[in-house]
Amino acid sequence: MLNLQQWAYIHRYAIRDIRRSYKKLWVIALTLFISLLLLSLTFSVKQSLNDEIEANSKELLGGDIQIDSGIDPLSGDRIKQLSNLGQISETVNFFTMLSKPSGGAVFTDLRAVDGVYPLYGEAKTMPSDAWAAFRLEGELPVVLINENIQNQLQLSVGDELTIMSKIFVVGGVIVSVPDLTNSAAFGEFAIISKQAFDQFELTSAGSFLHYDYRLKTPQSSDYQSKIEDAQTLFANDENVRTKLPKDSAQSLGRLIDNFSNFLNLVAVSAMIIAGIGISNTLLSFINQRNTSIAIKKSLGFSSKTIQLIYFYEILIILLASSILAYLLGVLSPVLVSQLIPASFGLSLQPSFSLLGYANIAFIGLLVVLIFSIPSLYSIPFIKAASLFRNIFQPVSLHFSAKNIVYLLFLVTILVSYFVLQTQQQLLTLSYFLAFFASMLVFYGVAKCLIIILRHAPNLPNNAYKIASRNITSKKSLAPIITISLGIGLTLLLTLSFVSDNLKKEISGSIPDMAPDIFFVGVNKDEKEPLESFLSSLDAEAVTEFNPMVSASLVALNSVPFETLVSRDNRSRWLIQGDRRISWLDHPPKDNPIVEGQWWQDDSAEQMLVSLDSKNAKDLGIKIGDEITLSILGREVNGIVKNFRQVDYRTIGTNFAIMINSAFAQKLPYEYIGTFKSERSSDEVQSLVVAQFPTISAIRIDRILSKVSQMMNKIFIAVSAISLVVIVIGMIVIVSAVMVQTNQRKYNNLIYKILGVDFSTILKATTLEFVLIYLTLIIFSVGAASLASYIIIERIFIVGLQWSFDLGLTLMLTVSTGVVTFLFILLANRNMFSPAAYPLIRNE
Amino acid sequence: MKQSVIQFSDVRLSYGPSSNPVEVLKGVSFSLNSNEIISIVGPSGSGKTSIIMLAAGLEKATSGIININNQNITELGENALSAIRRKNIGIVFQSFYLIPNLSALENVLLSLEADQKYNGDEEAINLLTEFGLGHRIHHLPSELSGGEQQRVAIARALINKPSVILADEPTGNLDEATSENMTKLLFAYTRAQQTALVLVTHNNELARQCDRIIELKDGNIA
Ligand SMILES: Nc1ncnc2c1ncn2[C@@H]1O[C@H](COP(=O)(O)OP(=O)(O)OP(=O)(O)O)[C@@H](O)[C@H]1O
Ligand SMILES: [Mg+2]
Repeated sequence: MLNLQQWAYIHRYAIRDIRRSYKKLWVIALTLFISLLLLSLTFSVKQSLNDEIEANSKELLGGDIQIDSGIDPLSGDRIKQLSNLGQISETVNFFTMLSKPSGGAVFTDLRAVDGVYPLYGEAKTMPSDAWAAFRLEGELPVVLINENIQNQLQLSVGDELTIMSKIFVVGGVIVSVPDLTNSAAFGEFAIISKQAFDQFELTSAGSFLHYDYRLKTPQSSDYQSKIEDAQTLFANDENVRTKLPKDSAQSLGRLIDNFSNFLNLVAVSAMIIAGIGISNTLLSFINQRNTSIAIKKSLGFSSKTIQLIYFYEILIILLASSILAYLLGVLSPVLVSQLIPASFGLSLQPSFSLLGYANIAFIGLLVVLIFSIPSLYSIPFIKAASLFRNIFQPVSLHFSAKNIVYLLFLVTILVSYFVLQTQQQLLTLSYFLAFFASMLVFYGVAKCLIIILRHAPNLPNNAYKIASRNITSKKSLAPIITISLGIGLTLLLTLSFVSDNLKKEISGSIPDMAPDIFFVGVNKDEKEPLESFLSSLDAEAVTEFNPMVSASLVALNSVPFETLVSRDNRSRWLIQGDRRISWLDHPPKDNPIVEGQWWQDDSAEQMLVSLDSKNAKDLGIKIGDEITLSILGREVNGIVKNFRQVDYRTIGTNFAIMINSAFAQKLPYEYIGTFKSERSSDEVQSLVVAQFPTISAIRIDRILSKVSQMMNKIFIAVSAISLVVIVIGMIVIVSAVMVQTNQRKYNNLIYKILGVDFSTILKATTLEFVLIYLTLIIFSVGAASLASYIIIERIFIVGLQWSFDLGLTLMLTVSTGVVTFLFILLANRNMFSPAAYPLIRNE
Repeated sequence: MKQSVIQFSDVRLSYGPSSNPVEVLKGVSFSLNSNEIISIVGPSGSGKTSIIMLAAGLEKATSGIININNQNITELGENALSAIRRKNIGIVFQSFYLIPNLSALENVLLSLEADQKYNGDEEAINLLTEFGLGHRIHHLPSELSGGEQQRVAIARALINKPSVILADEPTGNLDEATSENMTKLLFAYTRAQQTALVLVTHNNELARQCDRIIELKDGNIA
């Protein structure tokens, strides 16, 4: 073991050495800094988001406990029991049309609130007194709308709006509500008072009403027991679900976790590629100093001491870059806070913590250890004996059995550290496996090229000869170029291919096949009039109406789905909340049965079920299983009879769950309709809403354009982030090139003496890069196509079709290639005009 | 009683595959006492440098025993050999071999630092001053002449008061006047410090000034 004095010496020596040779170490510092910065940004933003949610969990839930009674209100008895525990607020949510008397309508998430809403936090409006004014009973009831509605209908305060045949006046614009919902943040959202809602005299049957109650109990010593009392009150009521603040924080936390996990993986990819640069830089650093190392050995320094000094230097660089990266990262929430839409009502605070720094530094340390071990263990192979013979053999990365065990151990720690911190463990683990596999593949790609060139016939062209010699030489740049650029490029290509395919589906294929308008909330007696009204608008239009009722999946063979289906199951959405189910006498035309039989003995006593085959497979349902559905609050058991292949993009009857019609006749139901015609959907929507005020007409083009807007934003962000990996790769390549400039200078001088001119050398350099890059692209594009194909056709539930876009591929690969090559030329600028004199001095 | 610093007993050294070895040393035996100065002479390729490397523990003998301060070093591992080198042996090379980014003083101190002596500044400055480099102590090797560089190298070898200095043609890269100076310095300080010296040289004049001459011929002592 080393004593304190020795450590002090190593410290002093390392500091002095860094001061004198920082120019050679900048690559390590820069790549570490960039990748640690990304990691630190991710961690800080995630931390402050979680802190904010944690601190506001009651506001986000809207109370100390939320009681969700579904489509029916709670009974008066229950409300009385609850009010003994504290203050209650009742809200009703449902989707309906908001229409402007002068034309134009939007399908809106409407919330009716009572006088005490919100129990926690505050609703912010524009103008700011609109919320107070909203409570006052005026001549006309008041509606508050969000910005999306305001923009779509071009409304201003004081304008009139029709909701369910009743006239409302716009009181103001909602900036944010404390209990965040999807539609408040991204969609169309409006608030009316409970009294105004009661005027609608809606019965819950068939309508998608959703009643929520929130309780606020005084913060006294029996607070906890009151919450428990409220929970036990509904423990045996299967139609009522209760939710605590921590649950709402949890579900948001999961969303944040998913996104931050993606960022983490990108960051760690960048770090690992930076690691390749560290390994390469360190090795060449050691080789440049092999004389000094040999001298130290001749003076009696052990290899261990020398290794420690170099490792210590790297640790100092790590310390400096991680502190800087962490400080910048910690401040980032302030910036990110500006980017979050006001409707989220979140404000992020930077939070400095030693633990947060330790987290970053630990990951940095692991990566640095992993990538410096093979370089540092080349030091024992530098022999002091060479000082007597004046011959120095360059050393290479050293992988002894012991080193490999160390490396595997460290890699396992690194991977587990990320896997254990996320809820998407399988995905994260697979990403790491794929990442390491691609590193091997891209190393193999370089080796392939080298082997091919070795066996290729010799062309009578000097540029080609030089390029081929450079690539096949022992110090070939091919492996480092393919590994450091390959993974980043593949990541970028994969993400771009996925987004490109989705965009094409959304802007092309889906609108072609899908209906223009969906009609929901069509009562039995409205179906015929609506159908004839629609055909009067356009006799050529394709319309289809299906009966439907809302139901939720409860259990499979008496085991609750909740316990059967994992969080990352792609069909999980089917078991969450209410789904629309339908029935027909015959199997739907464009839903072929792929397994089982359509029912022959249709009886009113027994429910029979038909499912989408993809969903059934994901959820582990088999033909003959007993499935429990909750229909309008009543649990019904049915037998699974067959699976259909459903393409949701088409107009027609596309329901994930269908039941037998004889059984369905007993249920109170309504109709859902689809409409496709040449007429503008804007116009059709307005006309229908004016004629049938209680029917909701949902425009598909609006939904699609919203989805594509969102996706554009997400994919721009995601691609920008994955660009970091490419940038790091470029830095690593540039540093590798710079390390080689000296050797290349010498070669070029010899070529010059042999009569090869400058332009040939330039051509050779270009050809060398083009050969390597082309080989790399073939594999990158191949891998990205495969990965995006799997994502598009296998992972997305809707049957999307994958296609290849040559233009996009060329744009991305050529631009990456050109930029990389420019950097290489820049790094090489001294190489082309080697001065003869330093070489004569035998340096 | 005189102590033996280096003792070679029937040392053989060969390179290459055992089926077709290049025999460099074919059973060399000699011993060197403390405070003794010997020279090793012989034609090029006769194995002079090989003997130095073996004595420094930088090469493994194929067979035979090598004792340094009565300790057999032939079976020692890398770390133990490092320890022997920093305690007992100073080496002077033909091409000086100073570390380029360290000053003259720092190069000399390195020798002490290898042996965990961290307060040798004064001692090192004194030695360099005695060597006539008082005005050069903070200069980098690239700013020194060949002769100055070799004086720094000798100071580096001497500073730790080793039992023996191994010098392989230390003046091979210097002009005649400078080499004479250098040799005087080396002789004077090894004698003063009671340090033994092995001097490999092609210069017969120089060899004659030593206490003893070992002449190598075809891998044997003639
Ligand atoms: N690694 C090796 N493999 C094979 N032979 C070697 C090796 N190293 C040295 N030799 C041979 O060993 C012999 C002795 O070399 P050595 O350097 O000891 O000679 P020398 O007496 O110092 O010569 P010079 O006066 O030229 O410096 C030489 O013939 C040389 O070719
Ligand atoms: Mg020699």
